[in-house]
Amino acid sequence: MSVTAACPVWAPFFGFAGASAAMILSSAGAAYGTAKSGIGIAGVGTFRPDLMMKALIPVVMAGIVAVYGLVVAVLVSNDMNPSSDYSAFAGFVHLAAGLSTGFAGMAAGYSIGVVGDACVRGYLYQPRMFVGMVLILIFAEVLGLYGLIVSLILNTKASSKC
Amino acid sequence: MSSYYASKTAFLFYLAGIFALIVFLDLVFTGNGVQFDVGRFLTDTSPYMWALLGVGFTIGLSVVGAAWGIFITGTSLIGAAVKAPRIRTKNLISIIFCEVVAIYGLIMAIVFSSKLNDAELADGEVWPKSAYFSGYALFWSGLTVGVANLCCGVAVGITGSTCAIADAADPQLFVKVLVIEIFGSIIGLFGLIIGLLMTSKVREFDTK
Repeated sequence: MSVTAACPVWAPFFGFAGASAAMILSSAGAAYGTAKSGIGIAGVGTFRPDLMMKALIPVVMAGIVAVYGLVVAVLVSNDMNPSSDYSAFAGFVHLAAGLSTGFAGMAAGYSIGVVGDACVRGYLYQPRMFVGMVLILIFAEVLGLYGLIVSLILNTKASSKC
Repeated sequence: MSSYYASKTAFLFYLAGIFALIVFLDLVFTGNGVQFDVGRFLTDTSPYMWALLGVGFTIGLSVVGAAWGIFITGTSLIGAAVKAPRIRTKNLISIIFCEVVAIYGLIMAIVFSSKLNDAELADGEVWPKSAYFSGYALFWSGLTVGVANLCCGVAVGITGSTCAIADAADPQLFVKVLVIEIFGSIIGLFGLIIGLLMTSKVREFDTK
């Protein structure tokens, strides 16, 4: 538990910043995705209530984006302990992991919201569009997954040698 | 202001950026460049500042989110209930979902403030590493809980407003659109979980 130049006192600031960034930014994306696609889905339900259950897919995918952020925030928080060494390197790696999932999740959530809103309205008029809607949503979701993959790779590299 | 190329918020960001640049260049050109030190700033400020900022952000931002959600839902609810008065009691649950976001923030602020204790430094003493850890953990946890609840409150507000209007159009839609609102409210719950996780290992502020 030493304070050296490699393990400065301020290193946990950046580690916690990473965990927070993952959660905050991906929850912003998920919130936008839920709200924006929810408007379209309620519109679908007004005219075709039988299509509502299948039209809920964008909302589920926006929730998954929030789970990506949760996973990275949990992984980063578990690595931090006041009684063990924590180097500046580990702090910056955790910051990078958090920002990576955070911004990717925010972008994915935004995309799912706009696409979900537009696609369910199309699904209302042409139910054969369901497969196309799901494909587009999957591609939007996988953007968040890319951020998660990079975060997981980075997190394995975080080590503290004082 | 509307005739400018950039929006009002962009204008403020540019102004803040120019001010920061002027401060930075002043330090560099007067031979005091070594004072521009992020690590020194982080260690010279008291850990209590960070911790208490976190507590303030927790309750402040959560309540902003809850209030925002309530006014979005409430206005739509009353407007739709003019033509369909039967919806007014059932859709109060959307208002309650937004209120719950503020309760999350309140609970977390109380939990975080219970980790604070008044320790004074003697002359020449520095805070131990665990005190800085506690300060930073409480700051970022507070910000996480606050901003997650802010986003959640707005999302629940928008979907609650959608729920009220859909219910006014067709009563059987209420439960289905409520599902979307539940998905929105889990975002605040995730923020709560992360806030609790980050501060679980926080030790009390001790001068040893």
